[in-house]
Amino acid sequence: MISKEVCERVLSKAASTGADYAELFAENTLNHSINMIADRVDSINDTVIAGAAVRVYKGLRSVMATTVDTTEQGLLRCAEKAAEALGQGTAALSITLHERLFGDIHPIRVVPSSVSNAEKVALLKEGYFAAREYDECIRQVSGTLLGVDHRILIASSEGLYAQDRQIRTRMMISAVAEKNGETQTGGCRPGRRMGLEMFETIDPKEVGREAARQAVVMAGAGYCPAGVMPVAIGNGFGGVIFHEACGHSLEATSVAYGRSQFAGKLGQQIANPKVTAIDDGTVPGAWGSINIDDEGTPAQKNVLIKDGILQMYMVDQFNGRRMGVPSTGNARRQSYAYTPTSRMTNTYIANGTDNNDDIIASIEYGLYAREMGGGSVNPTTGEFNFAVNEGYIIRNGKVCEPVRGASLVGKGSDVLMNIDMVGTNMECGQGMCGSSSGSIPTNVGQPLIRVSSITVGGR
Amino acid sequence: MEFQAFKQAVIAAAAARGVAEYELYYQTAESTSVEVFRDQVNDFTAAVDGGVCLRCVVNGKMGYASTEELSEAAAQALVRRAADNAAVLEADTPEVLGQGGKDYEAFAPQADEMPATDALIRTALDAQKALYAADPAVVDGTVTDALAQRLKIAISNSNGLDLEYENTLSAVMLHAVATDGTEKADDFTLKTGALDTLDLPALAAQTAAAAKARLEADVAPTGAYPVVFSPEAMSELLGTYSPVFSSENAQKGLSLLAGKEGEAIAAPSVTLVDDPFYPGSPMPIPFDAEGSPAHCKNVIENGTLKTLLYNLKTAAAAGRETTGNAAKSGYGAKISVSPFTLYLAPGGCTEDELLQKAGSGVYINSLGGLHAGANVISGDFSLQSAGFMIENGKKTRAVKSFTVAGNFYQLLKQITAVADTVKLPRATGITSFGAPRVLVEGLTIAGK
Repeated sequence: MISKEVCERVLSKAASTGADYAELFAENTLNHSINMIADRVDSINDTVIAGAAVRVYKGLRSVMATTVDTTEQGLLRCAEKAAEALGQGTAALSITLHERLFGDIHPIRVVPSSVSNAEKVALLKEGYFAAREYDECIRQVSGTLLGVDHRILIASSEGLYAQDRQIRTRMMISAVAEKNGETQTGGCRPGRRMGLEMFETIDPKEVGREAARQAVVMAGAGYCPAGVMPVAIGNGFGGVIFHEACGHSLEATSVAYGRSQFAGKLGQQIANPKVTAIDDGTVPGAWGSINIDDEGTPAQKNVLIKDGILQMYMVDQFNGRRMGVPSTGNARRQSYAYTPTSRMTNTYIANGTDNNDDIIASIEYGLYAREMGGGSVNPTTGEFNFAVNEGYIIRNGKVCEPVRGASLVGKGSDVLMNIDMVGTNMECGQGMCGSSSGSIPTNVGQPLIRVSSITVGGR
Repeated sequence: MEFQAFKQAVIAAAAARGVAEYELYYQTAESTSVEVFRDQVNDFTAAVDGGVCLRCVVNGKMGYASTEELSEAAAQALVRRAADNAAVLEADTPEVLGQGGKDYEAFAPQADEMPATDALIRTALDAQKALYAADPAVVDGTVTDALAQRLKIAISNSNGLDLEYENTLSAVMLHAVATDGTEKADDFTLKTGALDTLDLPALAAQTAAAAKARLEADVAPTGAYPVVFSPEAMSELLGTYSPVFSSENAQKGLSLLAGKEGEAIAAPSVTLVDDPFYPGSPMPIPFDAEGSPAHCKNVIENGTLKTLLYNLKTAAAAGRETTGNAAKSGYGAKISVSPFTLYLAPGGCTEDELLQKAGSGVYINSLGGLHAGANVISGDFSLQSAGFMIENGKKTRAVKSFTVAGNFYQLLKQITAVADTVKLPRATGITSFGAPRVLVEGLTIAGK
């Protein structure tokens, strides 16, 4: 990667027009995915992302320039472009870099790029054919085995010179089932901040069977009814409710500009006292974990909400300037081509004290959302939506027939107050979160929870 | 290393490995954007990104690899990676590279030159002033952006195909936050066009009004109503469900339109057109991702499915010609199928007449969470919506936080009227989607 001396020269050039902060971010990323459909290995995506970005700040102004030319001349040209765009001024910074080693809390035993395509195909086929052979109503299966090897280097005018290597592995199986001419889908997509040793703890066959199970259950389901009702939301990916209803509104990306439903509410009760919510980038091997964020700040465990009271926001350096608070280790970017901003890592509602059986038994008529799909939110108003991939009607405290095609909508500030029971089986599910700094891996999580009242979009 | 030198290095590396059939797809984008907050430039970005994708045929199988690093070593690694990847594929039909075509349509790009940085800054500043001037309810939090991008695509292969495309576009984005003193709501508008042709006061008025309407909105009542989709909402739906018109998805059992060509799949008032050269399309492009000439075609004509969209591989499998719809989701991605500018053709009634036909119902001008709430395979959707109630054939009070649920395949048949004015509000990558206002019967609204 780029030497300390070259970084010093690039940063000096970047700061030559009076910047009060200069940063170089360089990356070399290998994305490799094997895709199967129609029982065959259909394609392989194999991409090297390599480039760099120079950022400079002056007060509350930020300028970024990017380049794919990472030779010293290319980087200097990029730095010059950023310096020129910042305006006219004289250098105010003297730059001396010190290498820092933050250590690696995610040791990797089997680096994906060191394993042959043939071995990876064999792993994927285990998962793929487990779905294919699950039931005779499975009509189609698609599967992907993804390996990402993301190397980053960050140098800044504050003396930082650090590198990190982030390796991720994910298997994604989707199944299509058909009953009586109606098709439905199911999916299972576990991922870890690990190498291929991930499959020592996650059985590919289980991934395939789970995708197929969902598709088969849903193919037999009728439509979900519409209306306002209590909903029990399952653990794991169910945590997408917190991610959308609250998480995005706690990012400095919206808070610093006053475009958040929770701006100015630190110390206030914004959620039911049953709710404690955490963003933790330090969980070993977890999909959303990082050693350091994309500004070089070490990852932290941040308690966002404790017993319903808002404790803190998720903050990156630049937006932290506007807010007058330090970074919380949440600056993230998809690649050098995106300006980093505050984003989530592994975000979850912590275990509560309610018995899972009691949560279901407490609902006379409502919905049990066992598996959730993705969603989205408007952080300004807090209006969110997310899809129910596998739902069941609850009648008289019992889980009854499956229902399809439901989504849940509401307002974050309302729904957080309505989370009135929190179970004890916290688990995380994996997703890709899209926002202004691109698509990044995040975990969402929670135990089984009850939302006392929410709008269910059915038909 | 520049692309031309890199290309020569790849050609040499391919020859050394005995790879005779190959194609390079080169894409680079230069983009500049300015964001203004509190009447100051808050963020300025000048980005260059892009890379080269190599695909090559080894034993009848097409291997892919791509890189952003252009060097001698990267060229050799690229050929090795693509050949290694081809080796484990289990393709059903042998794949071929394009030969190109005779006639490529000429088109007028929006602009030849990237706008000057000063012009971008002035546009973003003026847009912000216009937003604050549009309504006293517009408050802090409001941001405006001006952006420009120059995209270059080149395809070059061992069949002698050698094509290049370059297009520059610019746009303004207005994001208005409005308040009534206690609550805040927002809305945004993205408009592409040469900077000096953008009517900033009109865009600002429209955006501010939409944010304010959102503020005043109530939750819609639950029930089954006639629904009028705005051009924006209908374009979102079309964009989300456009994969059902892909022959690749049909051949893989992922579209319920498989085997339906020639059959009635929609109401007689529905004609769906894919026109890469549609006037006002921000990205007219003369060739597809395999280098075949792009051209206009009716996908649905008066309710009948005339054709799915094909690339060379899916066309060969179906024993027919490509429709020139080969596409890549990114420069490194595998060739798939996509429309270029897909729009619902105008119908016979005016926008007001359409509301009168609806009588009482819901007008939806905003849909959310389409990536999650719309199942492209089953066609089922349940989507967060906002808009207005329709009473006595007129838009009345604003409504939000409700869902509209139905099934896209059924919706095509449930369209009872199409208005006469097409808008092209949605663009993703090089694909744009458009529609007029549309009246649909039989959908369910879930609110309070």
